[in-house]
Amino acid sequence: MVNIHDVTVVILYHQIMAKMGRPILAGILLCLAPALFAQSSSEIERRVSELEEKMRLLDPAFGKGISPQDLISRLDQLEKKLNGILAAREPEAMPAPAAVAPQVGPALVPVSVSGDYQASPAGETRLPVSGYMDFHANKESGESFRPDFHRFVLLFGHSFSDRIKFWSELEIEHALVEGGEETGEVAVEQAYLDFFVKPYFNVRAGMLLTPMGIVNERHEPPSFNGVERPFVETLIIPTTWRELGFGITGDLGRGFRYRTYLTSSLDARRFSGEGGISTGKTSGFDASFRNPAKVGRLEYAGVRRLTLGSSFYSGHAGYRTPGINPGVSIAEFDGRYSFRRFDFRGLIAHTWVTRAGELNRRVQQQTGVNPNIGSQMRGYYLEPAFHMLRRPARYDLIAFARYEKYNTQQTMPPGYVPLPQFDRFSWVTGLTFKPNADIAIKFDYNFNRNRSSIVQAPNGVNLGIGWWF
Amino acid sequence: MVVLMRFLKALFVFGLAFGQDAGRRPDRVVNILAERFTYNPSRITVKQGELVEFVLISDDTDHGFKIPAAGIDIAIPQQGMGEVRVRFVAKEKGRFGFECSRACGAGHHLMRGELVVQ
Repeated sequence: MVNIHDVTVVILYHQIMAKMGRPILAGILLCLAPALFAQSSSEIERRVSELEEKMRLLDPAFGKGISPQDLISRLDQLEKKLNGILAAREPEAMPAPAAVAPQVGPALVPVSVSGDYQASPAGETRLPVSGYMDFHANKESGESFRPDFHRFVLLFGHSFSDRIKFWSELEIEHALVEGGEETGEVAVEQAYLDFFVKPYFNVRAGMLLTPMGIVNERHEPPSFNGVERPFVETLIIPTTWRELGFGITGDLGRGFRYRTYLTSSLDARRFSGEGGISTGKTSGFDASFRNPAKVGRLEYAGVRRLTLGSSFYSGHAGYRTPGINPGVSIAEFDGRYSFRRFDFRGLIAHTWVTRAGELNRRVQQQTGVNPNIGSQMRGYYLEPAFHMLRRPARYDLIAFARYEKYNTQQTMPPGYVPLPQFDRFSWVTGLTFKPNADIAIKFDYNFNRNRSSIVQAPNGVNLGIGWWF
Repeated sequence: MVVLMRFLKALFVFGLAFGQDAGRRPDRVVNILAERFTYNPSRITVKQGELVEFVLISDDTDHGFKIPAAGIDIAIPQQGMGEVRVRFVAKEKGRFGFECSRACGAGHHLMRGELVVQ
């Protein structure tokens, strides 16, 4: 990444040095000299002023303290500044003319860069790695606050070339990992290679985020409201759901793009009545590729601030339940839209599990516990939000309310009865304050309910701070 | 003479850098909204020879904007911190990719687009 100085100097360097070279430059200067004598001093002064204005685009502080009457000093300063810029760039540019020259080809000729690209907060330091952190304090009714450094995630990437790139995400959850203890986890959330072939056809392979829903692939804390991720995108669609696999991605034009992968399958032995299929994600550990799952997502982002997406998943999950190989299918549709100071997002997902009755019996044989897995699961949520401060603004304060309905036992296999406490709905309402677009300070209150008259869902209050860097 | 030579050198270098095109009104202005993990629009068509100006603005974090064919690689400031204007002349026909060059999240590599010069 380079800023204005770099861009401009690259332009200067390549046009002067790569195309003409210093001897030619000197020659041109001599040739043009007579013409300059013809110019009046006022004309020269005007042109010098213009040059100073342009130089101030590069360095707003340029020219301070110089007397406007002193033309020689002004030219001295201009020359000194230019020499400084060129000298600073030459050591980088000289060793690799062959590598750089093709990039600045004749096809697209840069002219200028202007605007606010230097307006990032002064003093910010950009690290060579990126990441996000998520600190929560959760409290259920009747209990005390439980602080939790939920996520500490670092992202690393590398470009082998313009066409082959690596990207990864390494996560530590709950701050502490100890062998054999019920504490945190260290996990590779994603680690893959991209082979960029054509805009509409690229190949990806490695540990992949399953392209389903809004949050699974877009889970940086400032990018969603609420301290915790939506229940629907936790129980009906697992997050963070990643599997080993490979596939193709591309941009089809007119705002459409897709991702479709073959991935390792879910583990049906870990499905449950309460968590549905979400507890069956392998996260790349002890995974199976005997029956690879097919997953695809089509997105439309052809209208500004509108994104619509639909995903479909199909696979068999019985590699650890011999003799029973239940099929899992998920269909999902989601959308996000912003209009003036309003944001809207919503999602609906439905899951089918075939042979759920046989699966329940087989898991009960293996573990001694009936998991009571449903044959269908369904969930949806709607979330309007309002930016309380006028936009664009340096700070952002968002009030939101999210209604979620989710049932991990929407339909049960014959002979099994759904438990009403798993037919749940929640109102999550709160505030997100962003002192910076990359920092989100969050508060929300959860009104949780279910259909059971015996097992009550506790309400909860959550505080959190998350940041991206 | 010294003054003139120095002036000439500065004028020449700036002329190369900014050229006549810097003060020219662009033939086409394209507003591009960057957000995790898309450019909108992501496919842009211009005509050969046009002076094109991209006005880039972010809806969330700061993103990068890199067109290798033009040697341009800049940072787009985060939401609320302004915009960037990039001007270039589309000298030759062809298809030229652009991409986010500043890590912006889990789907950073999805953030790509294409400039088509007809």
